[in-house]
Amino acid sequence: MSTPQSRSSEPAVEPSRLERVVDARLWSSTPVVVCLTLFALVILYFVFTVPLEFSEQLTFATCCFICALLFRRLQGRYATLVMIMLSIVASGRYMYWRLTTTTYWEHPLDAIWGLLLVSAEVYSTIVLLLGYFQTAWPLKREPMPLPADRSAWPTVDVFIPTYNEPLSVVKPTIYAALALDYPTDKLSIHVLDDGRRPEFKAFCEGVGVHWTIRTHNRHAKAGNINEALKITSGEYLAIFDCDHIPTRSFLQIGLGWFLRDKLLSMLQTPHHFFSADPFERNLGTFRKVPNEGELFYGLVQDGNDLWNATFFCGSCALLRRSMVEEIGGIAVETVTEDAHTALKLHRLGYTTAYLAIAQAAGLATESLSGHIGQRIRWARGMTQIFRIDNPLTGKGLKIGQRLCYLNAMMHFFYGVPRLVFLTAPLSFLFFGAHVIEAAAGTIAIYALPHMMHASVTNSRMQRLFRHSFWAEVYESVLASYITAPTLLALINPKLGKFNVTAKGGQIEKNYFDWAISRPYLFLLLLNLLGFITGLVHIYLNLGVRSEVQTTILNLAWTGYNMLILGASVAAASERRQIRAVHRVAMKMPVMLKFSTGRTLACQTIDYSEGGVGVELPASIQVPMHERVTVSLFRGDEEYAFPATVGFSAPGRVGLRFDEMSREQEYDFVKSTFARADAWMGWAEGRQQDTPLRGLSHVLLVGVRGIAGLFEHLYGDLRGFTRGRPIDVKKLETKKD
Amino acid sequence: MKVIVVVSAKGGVGKTTLAANLASVLASSGRRVIALDLDPQNALRLHFGVPLDSIDGLSRATLSGDAWQSVMFDGVDGVTVLPYGAVLEDDRRRFEAYVDHEPHWLAHSLSTLRLDASDIVVIDTPPGSSVYTRTALCAATFALNVVLADAASYAAIPQMERMIEAYAAPRPDFGGVGYVINQVDQSRQLTKDVLKVLRHLLGEKLFPGVIHQDEGVSESLACDTTLIHYDPLSQAAADFRACSQWLMSRVDSIAVSPGSVV
Repeated sequence: MSTPQSRSSEPAVEPSRLERVVDARLWSSTPVVVCLTLFALVILYFVFTVPLEFSEQLTFATCCFICALLFRRLQGRYATLVMIMLSIVASGRYMYWRLTTTTYWEHPLDAIWGLLLVSAEVYSTIVLLLGYFQTAWPLKREPMPLPADRSAWPTVDVFIPTYNEPLSVVKPTIYAALALDYPTDKLSIHVLDDGRRPEFKAFCEGVGVHWTIRTHNRHAKAGNINEALKITSGEYLAIFDCDHIPTRSFLQIGLGWFLRDKLLSMLQTPHHFFSADPFERNLGTFRKVPNEGELFYGLVQDGNDLWNATFFCGSCALLRRSMVEEIGGIAVETVTEDAHTALKLHRLGYTTAYLAIAQAAGLATESLSGHIGQRIRWARGMTQIFRIDNPLTGKGLKIGQRLCYLNAMMHFFYGVPRLVFLTAPLSFLFFGAHVIEAAAGTIAIYALPHMMHASVTNSRMQRLFRHSFWAEVYESVLASYITAPTLLALINPKLGKFNVTAKGGQIEKNYFDWAISRPYLFLLLLNLLGFITGLVHIYLNLGVRSEVQTTILNLAWTGYNMLILGASVAAASERRQIRAVHRVAMKMPVMLKFSTGRTLACQTIDYSEGGVGVELPASIQVPMHERVTVSLFRGDEEYAFPATVGFSAPGRVGLRFDEMSREQEYDFVKSTFARADAWMGWAEGRQQDTPLRGLSHVLLVGVRGIAGLFEHLYGDLRGFTRGRPIDVKKLETKKD
Repeated sequence: MKVIVVVSAKGGVGKTTLAANLASVLASSGRRVIALDLDPQNALRLHFGVPLDSIDGLSRATLSGDAWQSVMFDGVDGVTVLPYGAVLEDDRRRFEAYVDHEPHWLAHSLSTLRLDASDIVVIDTPPGSSVYTRTALCAATFALNVVLADAASYAAIPQMERMIEAYAAPRPDFGGVGYVINQVDQSRQLTKDVLKVLRHLLGEKLFPGVIHQDEGVSESLACDTTLIHYDPLSQAAADFRACSQWLMSRVDSIAVSPGSVV
């Protein structure tokens, strides 16, 4: 808590009245805290449980929501905390009412559906509350500079584990590791090649890094790193997945905290992806809507950091060797060795840290099936940890850490609840089951505040990292796949298998992945039938008011579910990738020199491993196939690359590099991927999130998904009636 | 008045071209600039569209006792050009003897022009040691040493440093020396290596960028103009702009430093 003295030293920013009240010293004395907490809990109990008439509850809920909307206009974290509190009140009242007055079912069928739905709701509410706890106050840690005297800097081993990835994928990472701004006598780079490939050996020897192998492949990546630990001796390890290209500043930005905090065992930086993941590609949201991972790396990890519960994510991280060795190396018991390693470090009382500055970047997973495979592995791994080393029990953890770990694991159990939500209204529409024993109006005045507060509050907390309602899409796509592995792992942690995600490939043609989207299609069909049944039901019962109301409520829910499923279907509609190499949009100065000796000073539009796109001033056009020397700059340094014009338009030119020497490849990585500012400003130009804007965007994507589905269906059926065998790879779709 | 003297110990480093282009960029940024040629080659004027057959210049004016105003030309961008003038060999020797005898001739003559404090005089000089370089250094607020990224340029740096040490450094109003590396082609390894050495040697005194080799520079002279008119989009034009900005920040910081007398 900041004291008046420390605040007076901060220039210009006048604390608001609210902040001054909250920052007062009075609140930090223990008896005051205890008394206030008890008082607050008692009050909260009354607020949750006091029975209100219909009109009273309506008034109360409206007042609360207006308060929340007013607080939303205020800046600052305290206003956010007030909004969280209001959301907790709304959810608490709803859950109390839901559990105490709506759970008396008349028929066994009602009871089965009802129990499932209630459990799913309890689960979501717990995850909501844990989420508030976890992300209420992101730490926003700043980098700690290393001492000015370079001789005081510690020694570092850089590990780049690889198994079957092609050399072309790993090369940029190795070059970038060589380009790290760090004294060469204190830096040792190791390519841990579990594929034991001769071409890797030759390349590593050629560029001067260690090619490190072992005789077996036990425990995959974790085992690979542990073997390398035995033959290296640097004080710290930096671990990069073989396709995560670090920037030159990675070590200098990350190591400072280790020297300051003697208990610090691990520092994680975000996993940043410069190519579109399948959601972004298939839904056309790349760089417009935050992707699935951004919530975790933007907010959750930063929130974890406050509770000293930052998780290790396997790559783009720094670890202190002595502490890793103390826990017996990287954990090998589960398929998410990274999270388990962090848990073990936390149990010994060591700290971990998170720096939310992208200091490395890589390729996102290529296809939806690959993406799903990766998430299944995470979900299985977290469930395994939950079973074999449960963070709620055991030694060494603080309550905050336990809750953060609990949320991380609970989060992956969303499979069943999500499926329940996607099918719950059908029980009424098909079987007339009354899963919630209450009138539609009463349900609305309790449930709507719960949902609306959660939306408004989460949108405020997550707006930069997750747009409203996108979680529904991401979860719905994964729910059908994640359910079985998590349940199996919960029963027996050994069930299931490790798989490595393929990266750097290319989707050659547009096609619809019928196999992967089978569950969504099935659910979509069910919902559609339910919707029609509901309409018929209304038509037959026009006179009965309560029936009509209940049916409309369920129809609205079903309609919403259909659109979310439509968005899931859209995500499975694989769009062709135009190029094998990914272009990274980046503006940086570039010089073109033509065969005449004349030059042009321009800016790049993007770069890729094969060339650069350049914006030409004043709509200049360059002839095709012209020979050009391209100069890229990095600080004082200039690197010249011979190239040919491969694309030309007024004001734009695409330049393809000639065959590059090793030296030139190294120079290219130095002047592009490894720039310290390479990944800054990635989210620039995004639309601000609001719940309604997020909702309408998601629903629009859903409509497009359903429309696209019929197009695919039509195209594929035509192909089928012409007697050709169905080959998903050959199915053509609308080009955009 | 800020007097920027463009010098180099070695010939053929593109000194005149650099002086003309910097003067042109500075003038187009809105400052009053006088481009003054102290090189008997009398080539500076050609960048500003002064007719080839014109023989007027400050050498003749000085010998005949005429005012400088009578030999000033209005060049492109509003740069005021003071050519050296075309003189016979005997007259040149007389002029040089005069300048040699009166090292402060230039400083005095400039002071008679009654220029504003923010006005800029860019002086081009012949390479190496000469009476012209000496008199120019005696009037200089700032010396700009043009070098190439080659071994000969590197080796000649100490010679020019000695001249600056002797003629300019003792004056309290002298603001120091800056270096510019001209005609750089980084596709050559030797260039890269020498650049590294020069950066290490010259440190803070060196313009952080370079002036790239650019065919447009020589083409612009053939068209009687400066590069920012002939090919404003070229890299070298961008370099000239960056260099003039750097130069101005150096020169303008001289005035505010205490103890300097303008």
